[in-house]
This record gives sequence, structure tokens and C-alpha cells, in this order.
Amino acid sequence: MAKPAVLAGLVVIIALLPVLVSSHYIWHILILTFIYIIAAVSLRTITISGQFPLAHAAFMGIGAYLAGMASKWLGWSPWLTIPSAALVTMGIGMLIGYPFARLRALYYAMGSLFFGIGVIYMVYAGGTWTGGYAGLVGIGPMLGGSKIAHYYFFLGLALLSTLALYRFEFSRIGTTLKAIAQSHLVASSVGINEGWYRVLAVGMGCFFAGLAGAGYAHYNTVLSPASFNFMATLWLVMYVLIGGIESFAGPIIGTAILVLLPEFARDLKEYSPYISAGILLIVVYLMPRGLVSLPKLVMLWYSERKKGKKIAHVSGN
Amino acid sequence: MFLETKGLTKQFGGLTAVNQFDMHVNKGEIVGLIGPNGAGKTTLFNLITGVIRLTKGQIIFDGEDITGKKPHQVAELGISRTFQLNPLFADFTVLQNVSASFHLHPRSSLLDIYFNTKTYRRNEAYILEQSLEILGLVGLDKVKDELAKNLPHGYQKMLGIARALAVKPKLLLLDEPIAGMNPDEIEFTMTGIEKTKQQGTTIVVVEHNMRIMDLCDRVVVINFGQKIAEGLPKEVRENKEVTRAYFGDEHVT
Amino acid sequence: MELAVATVTNLLILSSMYILVALGFAFLFNMLGILNFAHGVIYMLGGYIGLALISALGINQWAALIISALVIGAFGVFLEKFCFRPFVGDFNRIVMICVAIIVILQTSVNIIVGTQITSLPPFAEGVFKVGLASISYERIVTFAIGAVLLGAIIWFVNRTKWGQQMQAISQDMQGAFLQGINVHRISALASFIGCALAAIAGCLIGAYLSLGPFMGDFMLVKVLILAILSGAGSISGIFFAGLILGALDSVLPLFTSGAASDAIAVGIVVVVLLIRPQGFFGHEVEM
Repeated sequence: MAKPAVLAGLVVIIALLPVLVSSHYIWHILILTFIYIIAAVSLRTITISGQFPLAHAAFMGIGAYLAGMASKWLGWSPWLTIPSAALVTMGIGMLIGYPFARLRALYYAMGSLFFGIGVIYMVYAGGTWTGGYAGLVGIGPMLGGSKIAHYYFFLGLALLSTLALYRFEFSRIGTTLKAIAQSHLVASSVGINEGWYRVLAVGMGCFFAGLAGAGYAHYNTVLSPASFNFMATLWLVMYVLIGGIESFAGPIIGTAILVLLPEFARDLKEYSPYISAGILLIVVYLMPRGLVSLPKLVMLWYSERKKGKKIAHVSGN
Repeated sequence: MFLETKGLTKQFGGLTAVNQFDMHVNKGEIVGLIGPNGAGKTTLFNLITGVIRLTKGQIIFDGEDITGKKPHQVAELGISRTFQLNPLFADFTVLQNVSASFHLHPRSSLLDIYFNTKTYRRNEAYILEQSLEILGLVGLDKVKDELAKNLPHGYQKMLGIARALAVKPKLLLLDEPIAGMNPDEIEFTMTGIEKTKQQGTTIVVVEHNMRIMDLCDRVVVINFGQKIAEGLPKEVRENKEVTRAYFGDEHVT
Repeated sequence: MELAVATVTNLLILSSMYILVALGFAFLFNMLGILNFAHGVIYMLGGYIGLALISALGINQWAALIISALVIGAFGVFLEKFCFRPFVGDFNRIVMICVAIIVILQTSVNIIVGTQITSLPPFAEGVFKVGLASISYERIVTFAIGAVLLGAIIWFVNRTKWGQQMQAISQDMQGAFLQGINVHRISALASFIGCALAAIAGCLIGAYLSLGPFMGDFMLVKVLILAILSGAGSISGIFFAGLILGALDSVLPLFTSGAASDAIAVGIVVVVLLIRPQGFFGHEVEM
């Protein structure tokens, strides 16, 4: 766990960035990064209970479309739509999570996958209300449309969300979830209601997915269902796995790398996805536990080399 | 009667694992449940703790009908158990295994936990203290920071017992607690079981090693899912049916 | 009457195509426990390779079909050996590598061909008249190819030594290995066949409907549905599930919009998962 001073310094730098860099485009990319960090960290929170959902982008979509539709058709302000959308998304997640909680890992993953696909199909079938294939336009903007205001809003939201999720995981709640993941037999024998806790984890994760989606809806003012399909979920999963699913910071690092790196290679235009694919391959073959394991791997490799040199030296080679 | 099973029956398809099993346990006793391998002892535990659903019958604990209750509800009522294959929280440390098991007593509410209130911190401090005490009792305090999966087998079994004690059970079900242990560990565990009984916990011990009978107030013998004998350890030891059931299996040492 | 004939032929074609592609997925899943999410883009690539062969080499679509099947089959062998077999059992790595494959293949197709919809030339022209109804020869030929291949697969899996070895590995990999079955070779063969079938389906659909860089995503969903409905370890289950899904996909859109019928089909799958997660024909999976 990085020293608090280093973390605070990092946050300060990110907070000061709009002062140092005036490119609206870079602000935009960072705003998206903040939004996806909220989604990626909350996805990982669900996984500590031993469940691996494959519908997280769909839950972002639920939050996004609920907020977007409430704004467009009911005229609600973003300060009302965003928290409401997050809460309803949490409710839907818990409702769906309840019957799925008793399924084994593979079936749970498949079930959530199809639920996510079904949600997108329902958006397609939503006619005028959801805008169907063409997407939803005309969502009310917030913060007067000022980019820099959005930057600080989402930075703040990301910080608060990660803090909230951090507390969730490192309190007794998180310990209980990790206990269930390791042995549900033992967990239930000490009085842990595993079904209820699994649903709680899903609820927590879905709340923040909905929050991220709703925020995105008001930021972008336009929604396309393709942003929340199965491929989008797979990318969120990539953000978590690339960074490292075993560490809290993993999804944050993974999101940052996978969103920002291709942007630096923007000059490559349509070739930039190869960068992302390259990152995936490097992690799969060289550091399967994610980028967070990189410092450890480097130290391991270095100490192995030193050992090799020592042995060679001792045996007089 | 503290625990009573009436006509407990479990069928897995065509196989009857437990057949019309009647037993009772009085408060403060140690009852041994012995029988050869595959006799249905673990199934019985699984039925009592709600891990598997019974086909027929009734289970009454401390005056309450607990038939059909789920495992965590059974634990809430005061029954705790160990497992034969001894699953643990493998990636937790020894200490974490025990402290995580203090889920029920004391119980902090979700809000208390999340917002790190004084109640929560007080409870956590108490849990830490109690966990260390239990680890001291079972002799695992020196390895409290080891990962559970790295422990040798005997230690792991002790950890299973420690974890079951964290529930502060009124009734403790031990499933083959001394299997796979060396003579010193067996001695130590049996002393521990005796101590736990003296503290007022009612205990049912499943074993196919008949040494455990030295501890028991009463013994129930099961074979092929049915009760074939019951009584004081001495009576059961001399029972011909029982010896026949064990012929070719473990003998009294 | 016209509608009935069209619906039935549609059902048969959809079912046979879904089954063709899903078999490749099922082979890898049954034998190695691998969820090959990249199977959709492999199907797509097959169609595009067919198109490339036709436009670059000027050959006819039948030759392109066969060559594409061989090329994609070989690609499948490569994938199985270097991307899947080393990571059997590690779901995280498999998902990552599948996404990498999807990205690489989709990007490559985007760059080389562009994102507009194209198609292959049809495999047959003309129309066949049955009384008042008419069916295009293309439909008949497409279904015929599918049916012949499926029949060949059934024969292969049940009657040949290799097919039976595949079944043995699906049931118990360790046991099969101990019996002297060369698991590596058989899984490479299974991968070859599976990907070749997907490529053929890609070319056929590419001619019958169209080619688009996202056709793989569409097919992947169908394949996953078949895998779930049929259950792990069953090949005949894929056939039944394929018929069911083909029926749903050809009948439901008659009553409601395309998107709604997709949603209903998925809803049915979710219900099945909740009631009978191991599918209708398969066995339980330990994971």
C-alpha cells in the first residue's frame, strides 16, 4: 500500500492539472478515466465475494439511461437524477443478484453475461423512450457545460467513490465477503448469511456502476447503447485484470493505463487498438497477476540474478 | 433434552444415508457418535446444521424446532461445528481465521462497521483479545500470523476447532477431530475437549477412532445410517453388534 | 403459405449456422474448459478471408470457402497451442487473451477492409418453385452445406477413433491421458475442425446475408446461448439447442420487433440458468 504522502501528492498533481495543461481534449480523457475508475473499482468490489459478474457495463448503462431519460422526459436536474439512478441501479442489481447468488461461479458469470446482454436488447427495443439503436440525445447538461467544472466534479466523485469502496473492503464487511469467497461452508457455519452478503456486495458494486453511468449521461448528454454492451463489460474486466484483481489499486492502475496509453498513441489513429491488445498480451504472458505485481516481479528477477552471480562467483566461474 | 432428533431420514436418490435416526443429547454431556467409515455420521451433522435438507424427521434444539433451518441460522441459535475435511479460510492468517469467525458474538451492525463507530472499535478490540485467547488455548498462538494454508495438517485441525469455538456455541459438533493426528496432538485435543465441556458446552463428537470414548458420557453407535447401539462407553465397548460392525476396522487401542 | 415456407427455411438455415459455429466453441469448452470468447471474431474472420481470396485471387466462392476453412482451421491450431492450452484453468488469463485476439482481429479487419458492410457473392443463383411458394437456390444450398457438414460431424464424433477420443477427453481429461490418448493432438484437431466450421459458416452467412466487422459479436451471443442451453459436455445438446434458438429467432420476429425478440430469447436463457444451470443435456461443471 503506497504511502499516504505519495498518494496525496498524486491527487494534488491531478487536481492541479487543468491549471498546467489547457487542452480540453486531455481534460476530457481524464474525465472519462475518472468515470471508468469508479466503474472498475466497483466491479472489483463485487469480485471479492467470489462472484465474477459479466454485466457491469450494462449496470452503468442502466444508471446512464435512467438518468438520461429522467432528465429528458421528466426534466429532472442532474443533482436529482444521478443519485436516484444510482440507487435504482443498486436496487435492480440486488434484485437480480438475489436469485443468482446461489449459483456456482461459472453459471453466475454466464447468467450475469446474459442479463447484461438482455438489458441492451431492452434498450434497443425501447423505441422513442430510449432512442433505440440510434441512442438517446438531448440529456440535460450539468454545471453549465463547463469542462473544467466537470473535471473537478468527476475527480471529486472518483475520490469519494474509491474511499467509500475502500472502507467497504477493509472493514469487517470486506473480511466477511472474503471469508465467503474462500469457503462458504465454513462461513455459514459461523453464522454468516452468505446469500445476503453476496447480494450486499453486488448492491454496492451496482450503486457505483449506476453512479458512473448517470454521471456519464449528463457529461456526454448523448447515450449510445453500444457503450454499455458486452464488449464494454469485457473492457471493464480488462481494466481490473490488467491492473491486478488481487489489489485495491489494481483497477485504478489498469483503467489509467488502458484509457490513457492509447491516447498518447493517438497519432497512430486506427492502429491504436493494437497498443491496448499489446498491453493485454504483455500482462497475460509476463505478469499474469497484473501490473501491480510488476515491482515484485522486478525485485524477484533482480534477486535471482544476484543469486546466480553469487553462485557463479563462489564456484569460481 | 438439549438436542433431539426424531426419525431423521435422508435419502439420496435410491440410497438411504440416514434411516429413522433417533438420538438425544442432554445439556452438558459429551456424546460420542461412533461408527465405521461411511456409516452416515457426517451426513447426520450436515442434516442437523442444515447443510443438506432432510427427507423426513425432526430436529429439536433447546426446545425449538430447527428442522429446515439454514446453516447460518443454526449457528445463530448456538450450534457450531467442525468439518471432516477441514476447510478453512485458506488465504487468511491463523488469527484472521478466528477473528473472522467472531461474526455473531459480538455483532456489530453494518452501519457501525462501515462508519467505524466506537461500538465497532470496541467490538473489534474485544474480538482480537478473545481470538488470541482461543489461539492460546489450542496452542496456535505462536503461528498466529501464518497463512492457514501453510500450516501442517494437525495444526489445521486445531484451527478448525478454534474457529468453531469463536461462535461461543452452546452445542459443539466435532467431526473427526483427532483423525490424522499424532499421539501428542490427540492427547492435547482430548484435554481441550474436556476443558471445553467443563466450561458448559455440550459436545457431540463423531469419530471412528474408538479412543474418543474415554471422554464421553454416553456413546451412540451408527452403522448404515441406523442406530445399532447406545449407552455408557463400557457397555458399548462390550457390545457384540458393535464389535462386529468394526471387525476388520479400527480396534480399541 | 409463402410466409410459412420462408419461416421454415429461415429456421433451418439459422439453426444450422448457429450449430456450425457453436460446435467449435463447444469442443474447446468440453475438452479444455476454455470459454473462447474470441470464437465470434474467428467466424467473422472466416467470412472476410473468403472475401479477400475472391477479390485478390479471383477464385470462385467455393474454392474460397474451402481455403478459408483451411486457413482459419490452422489459425485455430495456433491459438489452441499458444494461447489457450498454456492457460487451461486460469479464467482470468483466458478472458484477457480472448479480448486481445478480438481487438487484434477486429482492428485488422477495420484497417484492411474498412467498416462498411460488404458481402460475398452468393453460392447459388435462381429460385426454386414449389407450387405457389418459391425458395431461392441459395437458401437450399446454404442449408444443404450446413446439413452435410453437421452430418459429417455427428459421424466423426461418434464413429471415428478420433471423435471418440474427443468424447473421452471431454468426460475425463486425466483418465483419457492415462489411457494413452494424445490429448494435445486431439485438442489441436478439435480446434482445427471447430474453427474451420466457423469459417465456413462465416462465408455462407457472408454470402447469404452480409459481412460486417461486428457480425462476430452477434454470433458470439448465439454461441453462448447454445452452450448454456445444451450444457457442458454434450454435442447432441448443441444440435437441440440450435434448433430451439433457430426457431425462436425465426418465429419471434414475426410477432414483435427484432430487438424485443432478442430480449425474449435472452430472458428465456436467464430463466433456464436459474432453474437448471447445467443445461438440458450436459453435466455439472465444477468451477
